[in-house]
Amino acid sequence: MAASRARLVLAGAVLAVLLYAGASRVGPVPALGGFLDPAGGAWALARVADLPRRSAARIPGLGAPVEVRYDDRGVPHIFAASEEDAWRAEGYVVARDRLFQLELQTRAAAGTLAELLGPNPRIVAADRTARRRGLGRAADRIFAGLDSTALIARAVRAYAQGVNAWIAGMSRGELPLEYRLLGARPAVWEPRHSLYLFHQMALTLAWDDPTLLRLRVRGLVGAAATEALFPLNSPIQEPIQPNGEAAPRYDFVRPLPPPGVPDTAAELVADARERAGLGLGLSQRRPGDGDAIGSNNWTVGPGRTAAGRALLAGDPHLELTLPSIWYEIHLHVAGGPDVAGVTLVGSPGVIIGFNRNVAWSFTNTGADVRDLYVETVDDSLRPARYRLDGEWRPVERRVEVVRGRHGAVLATDTVYFTHRGPMLREGGRWLSTRWTPFEASRPGEEFLRLDRAATVAEWLDGWKGYVAAAQNGVAADRAGTIAVRSTGKYPVRPGDGRGDELREGSTRAADWTGYLPLELYPFSLNPPQGFLASANQQPVDPRMNPRYFGSNWYSPWRALRINQLLRADSAVTPDAMRRYQTDPGSARADAFVPLFLGSAAALDAGGRSDDTLRRAAKLLAEWDRRYSRDNRRAMLFETAMGQLTRLVWDELVPPAARGDTAAEPVEVPAEAVLLELASDSTSAWWDDRRTPLVERRDAILGAALRRGLLLALRDLGPPDGDGWLWSRAHHANIYHLLRIPALSALDLPVQGGPSTLSPSPGRGNFGPSWRMVVELGPRVRAWATYPGGQSGNPASPRYRDRLETWLAGDLDTVLFPATPAELPAARTRSVLSLTGRR
Amino acid sequence: MRNRAAFLLLVAAFGLGSWVGWWTVPAVAALWGWLRPAVPRPILSAGIAAVTAWSFWLTTDVVWDPRAAAVLANQLGAIMRVPPPALYLVTLLFPALLAWSAAALACAAAGYSDSRPGGSR
Repeated sequence: MAASRARLVLAGAVLAVLLYAGASRVGPVPALGGFLDPAGGAWALARVADLPRRSAARIPGLGAPVEVRYDDRGVPHIFAASEEDAWRAEGYVVARDRLFQLELQTRAAAGTLAELLGPNPRIVAADRTARRRGLGRAADRIFAGLDSTALIARAVRAYAQGVNAWIAGMSRGELPLEYRLLGARPAVWEPRHSLYLFHQMALTLAWDDPTLLRLRVRGLVGAAATEALFPLNSPIQEPIQPNGEAAPRYDFVRPLPPPGVPDTAAELVADARERAGLGLGLSQRRPGDGDAIGSNNWTVGPGRTAAGRALLAGDPHLELTLPSIWYEIHLHVAGGPDVAGVTLVGSPGVIIGFNRNVAWSFTNTGADVRDLYVETVDDSLRPARYRLDGEWRPVERRVEVVRGRHGAVLATDTVYFTHRGPMLREGGRWLSTRWTPFEASRPGEEFLRLDRAATVAEWLDGWKGYVAAAQNGVAADRAGTIAVRSTGKYPVRPGDGRGDELREGSTRAADWTGYLPLELYPFSLNPPQGFLASANQQPVDPRMNPRYFGSNWYSPWRALRINQLLRADSAVTPDAMRRYQTDPGSARADAFVPLFLGSAAALDAGGRSDDTLRRAAKLLAEWDRRYSRDNRRAMLFETAMGQLTRLVWDELVPPAARGDTAAEPVEVPAEAVLLELASDSTSAWWDDRRTPLVERRDAILGAALRRGLLLALRDLGPPDGDGWLWSRAHHANIYHLLRIPALSALDLPVQGGPSTLSPSPGRGNFGPSWRMVVELGPRVRAWATYPGGQSGNPASPRYRDRLETWLAGDLDTVLFPATPAELPAARTRSVLSLTGRR
Repeated sequence: MRNRAAFLLLVAAFGLGSWVGWWTVPAVAALWGWLRPAVPRPILSAGIAAVTAWSFWLTTDVVWDPRAAAVLANQLGAIMRVPPPALYLVTLLFPALLAWSAAALACAAAGYSDSRPGGSR
């Protein structure tokens, strides 16, 4: 009897515990019932890992049946009777493969991540920042003002119908793993969410603003030195728009203005901004990142290709994630666009790709399109009005409530707006920000027009109204026309026209007076040199077009290298284009290695060398200046460059930290400026003020090389050991969207180094996000890949099936069938038939 | 023969019930315990039947796509910080204990004094 009772008690306890654990999340452990259930839980993801040979579904609103054929690379080829139907099908197939990513990206822009991910303080902080930036608010406003017949309005509506049809028809087993781990369900996709995505991309590409950077540096070395170290124009001119010169031009200033008296007012403002806890959001770049990341694109006219056909290479570099930021797709509309390439997950149409006649790709212009204004307000804590032209104007207030998973209020902020944009209190003063993406009326529409272009001329016309983020678009067509244009709205400012200083906001006279006209955009069509290339360098030679587009440009190492390769090759092939994308050569190394060696030799000749320096110089001289995986000398150069930065820019370390040898400069000038400095061996900047001696160039270069060797020996072992292998030192790290290690691809050895054409900064989480080569012949041919795979299901073979190809620098042949029947049966993996609702 | 049929019926009920949701495991087990069919050790049978049903689902997945099943097991194991076999074990223990406990309580609620066939009310 007692045993029976005990068993009952035990059974009751077990049942209670299991029912609770089955239905409720316990800490990080998801509710076990739904998670472990083999029929519809996480295990079921194995059952839906691959696409079924045949399937069918209905999408409300579909005008005519759509056939989707997936090829053996997992690329859906959508054959539709109208553009709307193609976008509906696109929404459906993207949601089928990437549903969680769709929602996550949108929430990042809207500031609602905590509703999905929970009340993690970092997530809540990210949501608050997003709301202060006003991305979601701006997208809502733009969407509300959209003419319902506008191309983009029709597209995002149709796309949303497709996404929601997938969500509505999805089986329990098809729920993405991330939702299961989070204990969440997918939210309904609204048309405006696509606009959120465009703003999120604009944030990645165009939020960086040089104003704070300049303030920080002025606070340390004064205005004149700041201007020299972070110049308006690149000291090395190799612009996107060819300037007619056969070689790069070195506009070196000699001598550079020496470190000046600190600008204490600027320092106060900079400190206040930083104390404000990111406020409107500081730069996402870290000191030194600037020259290491970026995108490339180039096109070669038929006169310089082996086959006499225009070639185009696209190579946008963005954050590397699993699944990838891109989704490869082909949209074929009967009598309409027939376009293939990649789309951003959440965006209708194709962003980068090609159609039957034209191919195109983009790099980021990095234009300065965000300005900060110091506002005068009536209440320093809770402003209701701000001063403008001698009158008080009302401040728009918006209460932003950050909520958690079940609606719990996690944070409440009042966000303030002037007519310029969001405003934030920083160190007792209020700054408002104006940013071009907020001023787009039809974001994303231009990409849909590009999909339809039949010639480069139509392509250029299609995106002439594009607003943000400004992009260097190259295009080529089957007629052999090639072009590049840096397109986006460039604000015209009063006064000196520059946007890299704080502006006084109490007068409208400080506001933008308009936008630069299209004919002044950096542009080139069929240049005599026969090719065009962009790599985030200053777009136009200031001698040809002195308008302000921005400042503090990336050093043009990648531009120098690709132009060097293209100038040397008058019979370019598609395979050469592919090889160039991962070329391990470095214009940066070509510039600095001789300087190190020259200084070491000079010190030796002057009796100021030692065995360590002589050994370092010998080892560095052995380097072929290539960042191949099996290279054993690139590491020495990198450690020496790191030391050089520390030794030269000691003036840019805050005074309080100068005793700390590991302290970092607040900002690091572009390496093009360092090269400029090297042309003056006695500049005051060479002196390391932390020592009693007065150093000159050779002493500092020698010391950097010497220290670099000692560090390398200490950390990596002997020079011919495996520790010095570039593949051991440098990796790509492709994190899952939730940074779950098991779903990430980490420590991948890659070819390329800082400022090579396939650059990879220290953390390795940025890099070539899509590599594409297109040949514009009688029949367009293309080759491409990206790191990752089409599916967001980690159990799927399509989750990361492209990684090996990407790592090897290879490309897959892109199938581009004109009809469903043209896709070979042997390469057809799955067929999906879509129909409208009965 | 009847015992075996009843057991298979129970396995089928657990298997199909899982298609609806995991919560059908205790529901089916409770019904089984309440009805108390004339099979040996009905409460234990409930647990074993639930394990059998879920094993069937898991095995089907492994046979259907062994690569995907292995990849998934490794990933889920890494995420949950347990070896993949342990995750399989947890997956099978969960319905077993659910079914056993629900059947035991239902049996008792129905007034049976023990779990053996022929036990008295």
